[in-house]
Amino acid sequence: MINVVADVGLLCLLLTVALAIVCTRSPLSLVLLSGIYSIALCTLFVILDAVDVAFTEAAVGAGISAILFFAVIRPEDEPVTAFSWPSSRAILLGLGVGVLLLAGTLDMPMYGDHLAPAHQHLALRFLGQSFEEIGIPNVVTSVLASYRGYDTLGEVVVIFTAGVAVLILQPDNKKGPAKPGDRDRFAPELMGNPVLKTVLLRMIPLVVLFGLYVQFHGDYGPGGGFQAGVILGAGVITYGLLSSATRLKRIISDKWVTLGMALGVLVYGLVGVAGLFLGANFLDYSVLGPTQTAGQHLGILLIELGVGLTVSCTMVSLYYCFKQGES
Amino acid sequence: METVYLIVLGLLLIAGLLSIWRAGIGPTRFDRILAVNTFTSKSILFISVYLFATGHPEYLDIALLYALVNYVTSLALVNYLNRNPVSAND
Repeated sequence: MINVVADVGLLCLLLTVALAIVCTRSPLSLVLLSGIYSIALCTLFVILDAVDVAFTEAAVGAGISAILFFAVIRPEDEPVTAFSWPSSRAILLGLGVGVLLLAGTLDMPMYGDHLAPAHQHLALRFLGQSFEEIGIPNVVTSVLASYRGYDTLGEVVVIFTAGVAVLILQPDNKKGPAKPGDRDRFAPELMGNPVLKTVLLRMIPLVVLFGLYVQFHGDYGPGGGFQAGVILGAGVITYGLLSSATRLKRIISDKWVTLGMALGVLVYGLVGVAGLFLGANFLDYSVLGPTQTAGQHLGILLIELGVGLTVSCTMVSLYYCFKQGES
Repeated sequence: METVYLIVLGLLLIAGLLSIWRAGIGPTRFDRILAVNTFTSKSILFISVYLFATGHPEYLDIALLYALVNYVTSLALVNYLNRNPVSAND
């Protein structure tokens, strides 16, 4: 009963937010509404027992997306009419795609069907044997980091590549002196506000501590390198929002951030190659320690470290890129 | 006990709907940011109540994460408004 009420209620909320997003024209309201959408979606993931997915949604939705969106929108883009229906062609296209997607779900197994193919093939083996083979309670981490280590390596490389692509696209550093119309350069720092300074400077260590907890507790509960990287990045960027990107760069220079992005991928790859030299397959951690589970523990710890390093450095690097040319 | 949980979850959903309404119609941007904050707090409560109702309090980390990084959206907005000052009634 609780499940049904929570499911239906949250889906109704999601539909309401989606309709509001469709009708809103102001970029600022869109960012805030998509934040609400992300939170409602995260709650839905919790109800579906997908806690690791919920954790990622929470970290990205609450921690980083608003920072990046607010870095790129401008007040000049605010429209005169904040609220209007989309054009009839857009509505038709949306409805058409929606009907096609609904038709696509007709072939899928019912929600909660234990005979669904996804629950028959490998899932039984993972659920039954992962604790003996890998030795950690969170099956999601076992699958993500060990059984499917190749896929996760691919994901880390994708994040690294995306970060590099943004770095390539960023404008030239040497833009010359500030123009008088460039009001961003002359905005007072938020650090001057005693409330923000007192509260948020004490929040940063807590956020970083929580990020480290998520990083190293991923074997036992929801979380892992991806989520921890985003949380750590958000903690660091908080200081940049409070003072300025330039002040943050004096503490963590952009060269180190770029180096960290590459270093994380390197750590991941080297752990895989270490397995090769010890006489096993690429990314087989069993040979890294005295026993199979000890080796798996060490391997998963190291590759999660690499993932966390790459993700957190990519987040900070994205922030630097979007703040290029500002005070 | 389940009835209590059900009533609380239902009330939290209604509170969430009301804050979505406020975030949608505004009219000022400060209404909207307060609405987002309210919605986040209600979600933290919703997740916590749901997890206790279904007997999985070990997943409270997610609610904790929201409680901890909830300030980021507000701070990013304050930073944006600081760089782009607006009139008080906008």
